[in-house]
Amino acid sequence: MANKKILLVDDSNTILMVEKMILASEPYHLVTAGNGAQAVERAAAERPDLILMDVVMPTMDGFAACRALRARDETRAIPVIMVTTRGEADKVELGFESGCSEYVTKPINGPELLAKIRNLLGE
Amino acid sequence: MKKPDELERTYVRKVREGTQKYARDLMAENDRLRMLIAALESDRVRLAERARSVESVLQEVDLLRGAVSTLEREKLGVQAQLFAAREELESHRQERARLEQQVADVEKESRRFAEQYVQVEAQNTNLANLYVASYRLYGTLDRQEVLAAIQEIVVNLIGSEELGVYELEAEDATLRLVASFGIDPTAHDRIPVGEGRIGRVAASGEPDIGAGAPVAARAQEADLTACVPLKLDGRVVGALALFRLLPQKNGFESLDHELFGLLGTHAATALYCTRLQERLAARTPA
Repeated sequence: MANKKILLVDDSNTILMVEKMILASEPYHLVTAGNGAQAVERAAAERPDLILMDVVMPTMDGFAACRALRARDETRAIPVIMVTTRGEADKVELGFESGCSEYVTKPINGPELLAKIRNLLGE
Repeated sequence: MKKPDELERTYVRKVREGTQKYARDLMAENDRLRMLIAALESDRVRLAERARSVESVLQEVDLLRGAVSTLEREKLGVQAQLFAAREELESHRQERARLEQQVADVEKESRRFAEQYVQVEAQNTNLANLYVASYRLYGTLDRQEVLAAIQEIVVNLIGSEELGVYELEAEDATLRLVASFGIDPTAHDRIPVGEGRIGRVAASGEPDIGAGAPVAARAQEADLTACVPLKLDGRVVGALALFRLLPQKNGFESLDHELFGLLGTHAATALYCTRLQERLAARTPA
């Protein structure tokens, strides 16, 4: 059975590295994008099983990227986990309104992130 | 005096009367005896019936005794079966208790493994954060990139969007703000060593992470959460100040203290390396 593919989207190399290292212990195939616009294109091309998306990014932020993903047939069903710096209710609500499936807050808690990924991937 | 004929007639009459009376008495006695016989016959019939009834009851009693005897034997058999069943049940109960204990042990072990697994995942995250922080600090010799890396480490790995990076200007014993995020840089531009919480950290070389003795804070330091000295070879060369933490961050954990320790030494070294690189670049002809 092929490894599940996860698209990591963040403009911060620090966060991308941390996410890669947290997920390195799991049999996932990881691909990355540096902003929301790249994420939408990469998702359409790669068809990942899940997307881990930062909110604050240049060019296109995570909310806009999530809405764009939901608007396209080929990416509509891909679960998206928002990685937010601020976990206030209004920000979280905005994330769910844009179509995200889950959210985690920074600093990233590894076990929490893995649990949410496994849950969304049905593992 | 009566004549003999008259006497005879009288005698005869009296005998006749006596005989008649005797006959009547006999008849009466006969009637009484007949009635007595009839009563006795009735009693005999009644007793005979009762005797037949008693005989029937006795037969029934015999039958019941036989049935009771059969039931007693059956009862003994059932009791033996019941005893065997009880023993089997007890054996099953013990087996069930043993299996339940095994299941409980397995569940306990499983929980322990799950907890250990989560701990390993948490440790993996901590190591990842430390590795990434170290990698990012030493991944470049460009000063602005090192400062950006310090900022990213504080924002993304520690969890504060209000920070200032200070470098010590030894000539006038002042900390100068060289990079900041989320704070007004003009309000924090220069801090004399020894003044306020940040200045005291630079003077003492000891971090101020809220656990030490209270120190008079400057007005601009009202929201200061932690301040770590940046040291090079044990010498203070600057300070890293963190103001308000992110709303979801309730306090510092062990990883944060590790990151403070890492930043305290490695950020200073990385910044020093960038200066060396700048000097080297300035000396090297283009």
